[in-house]
Amino acid sequence: MDESRPIFVQIAEQIENDIVAGTLAEETQVPSTNEFAAFYRINPATAGKGVNLLVDSGVLYKKRGIGMFVASGSRARLLEKRRKTFAEEFIAPLLGEAASLDISSDELLELIQTHAQRMGPQKVGEK
Amino acid sequence: MTSVIEVAHLTKRFGDLAAIDDVSFRVEENAITGLLGRNGAGKTTLMQLLTGQQFATSGTIDVFGANPVENADVLQNVCFIKESQKYPDEFRPKHVFRSAPWFFPHWDAEFAEQLVEDFRVPANRPIKKLSRGQVSSVGVIVGLASRAPLTFFDEPYLGLDAVARQIFYDRLLQDYAEHPRTILLSTHLIDEVANLLEHVLVIDDGRVVIDEEADVLRGSATTIAGTRAAVAAFSEGREVLHAETIGGLSSVTLEALSPSDRADAAAAGLELAPVSLQQLIIRKTTLTAPATESEMEHSA
Amino acid sequence: MTTTALTPPSIAQAPSRVLAVLRLHFASRYILIGAPWAIMAIIFVVNLAVWAIIFASVSSPTDRAEVTAGLQWSGASLYLFVWMSIVAVQSIMVSFPFALGYGVTRRDYYLGTSLTYVLLSVGYATVLTLLAGIEQATDGWGLGGQMFNAVYFAGDTLVERFFVFLALLLFFYFSGALGATVYLRWKQPGLLAAFAALGVLIVGLCALVTISQSWQRVFEFATSVGTGGLVALLLIPTAIAALTGYGALRRATPKN
Repeated sequence: MDESRPIFVQIAEQIENDIVAGTLAEETQVPSTNEFAAFYRINPATAGKGVNLLVDSGVLYKKRGIGMFVASGSRARLLEKRRKTFAEEFIAPLLGEAASLDISSDELLELIQTHAQRMGPQKVGEK
Repeated sequence: MTSVIEVAHLTKRFGDLAAIDDVSFRVEENAITGLLGRNGAGKTTLMQLLTGQQFATSGTIDVFGANPVENADVLQNVCFIKESQKYPDEFRPKHVFRSAPWFFPHWDAEFAEQLVEDFRVPANRPIKKLSRGQVSSVGVIVGLASRAPLTFFDEPYLGLDAVARQIFYDRLLQDYAEHPRTILLSTHLIDEVANLLEHVLVIDDGRVVIDEEADVLRGSATTIAGTRAAVAAFSEGREVLHAETIGGLSSVTLEALSPSDRADAAAAGLELAPVSLQQLIIRKTTLTAPATESEMEHSA
Repeated sequence: MTTTALTPPSIAQAPSRVLAVLRLHFASRYILIGAPWAIMAIIFVVNLAVWAIIFASVSSPTDRAEVTAGLQWSGASLYLFVWMSIVAVQSIMVSFPFALGYGVTRRDYYLGTSLTYVLLSVGYATVLTLLAGIEQATDGWGLGGQMFNAVYFAGDTLVERFFVFLALLLFFYFSGALGATVYLRWKQPGLLAAFAALGVLIVGLCALVTISQSWQRVFEFATSVGTGGLVALLLIPTAIAALTGYGALRRATPKN
């Protein structure tokens, strides 16, 4: 739990990660705010804020009297959202780092291909 | 919001010294508020004033809408646990847990029993013979099991070792989640309790210097680090809370950065580092503390 | 818009709150009841031994009568009264901050503590009276000894004796309690000042009586009032001490 971003944002991101990874399936129940609070050892109000972020963005919805559930289609939506920021979040820093190491674009492309072959096909959900 | 405590222009003088100096604030119902500050800042005095144990020199205090002094209706719903509690001779922990329910109407005996096990308190040994940590545990157990609608913890866990403190924080969170109540926690182990707090009240020299939501406070500053030039360029026009330099590197704590600011900083090759609640509070209250060498290099 | 949370409904009413303080005091039963009577028993046994020795070496009835008369002045049982004062002080010094920590108001604390010691005094007075009665009935425990019928405890009937015991116990308790509350409120300087004032008062009164050469009249008055008068005279300073004690406690704060 680092502090460069507000804790409730980190909780929201963690839940999103689990949905993207498939650990949290759609239409399944998400742990309660109190459970999150106990697990992360934080104030329940903070945990609640994180959950509310996701309710506001439509990733989670509330079933009265039962709890919070993962909304249908949220995984697909999250994947799309992350694809859009993929370039900014990963490609830009990669290029910046490569530049500071004097690695040309061609060398970079070669490196990417070599590594992709080594790692083999990656299927989501499998470790 | 509903406030459980309302304090207006509260002052407490001991002779010439103003231990509490024109303090005004509200404490929200069912929130965990941290009462933070250095030793001697006035945390204990403030809590004593709020529980009617000390008498104010001037100003008003409202707890549950009434003055707490000599007010049994209010005080029955308040539990004040302090660090060095002296118990009557011959008392053993079991006597404490047997007598507490006579004074705390919301006492949960089962919960108390569970806590006695968790903290490994020897219920039958005379308190005089217990270690400091065990005596602190007794106080903490009373504070938790009292389920008082307003509970004060005045650094009662100083005698506890790290494991016991973690047990305390965990049980506090768990029970607070299931039985919401208003809790005021005073400590100078800020980082340990930072995540438990919803609201932060910082006292320095008898005055309230910070009265803020914990999340807002955390988001109010960021540290950026990198080469002197890059840092200086980025800090241009922004409020600098703290600066440190070593060789050609510089680290600066700035007031809140928006997401786009953060992106800019990253793009400029600067490293973004967290500012913990403890560091923030130290920065904002160290008005008269001696400057470090690096600070002196950079002042002016 | 902020609203103020109102006091959750009152739970325990005044009588039960005062009773809670009572129970708190009685949690230390050993100190309150066990210890003093254990010591009293020891003192008694020691006295028994002394009487046995004395009467073994004195055989003539006249001599024996003299010894018995002399034992009237035995201060053996006075210890209990002094103890009452001392224990009162110690118990209040520790239980007051503790009770404040439990959220007890000073008023409830003073009422509960006073009630505790009044009950204790009644209990002790009863036991002392019983012992005095047995002592009389057995002619000094079969040895001509006197401990509970010492001359200090005036009163011809056992009932009168009971009230004398009670008045003495209450006087010693509230005096001790007053000392404790003065200390709690004004700490050492206050206590010293109080003692100084008391000293001045006593010396002043004695000086007054001496100057006006009224000692004879004082003694006559003392012997003429009888038991009832004695009890009444004790009750006045007791009541003053009780009220002053509360006055001092009302603004007392726990040690920092």
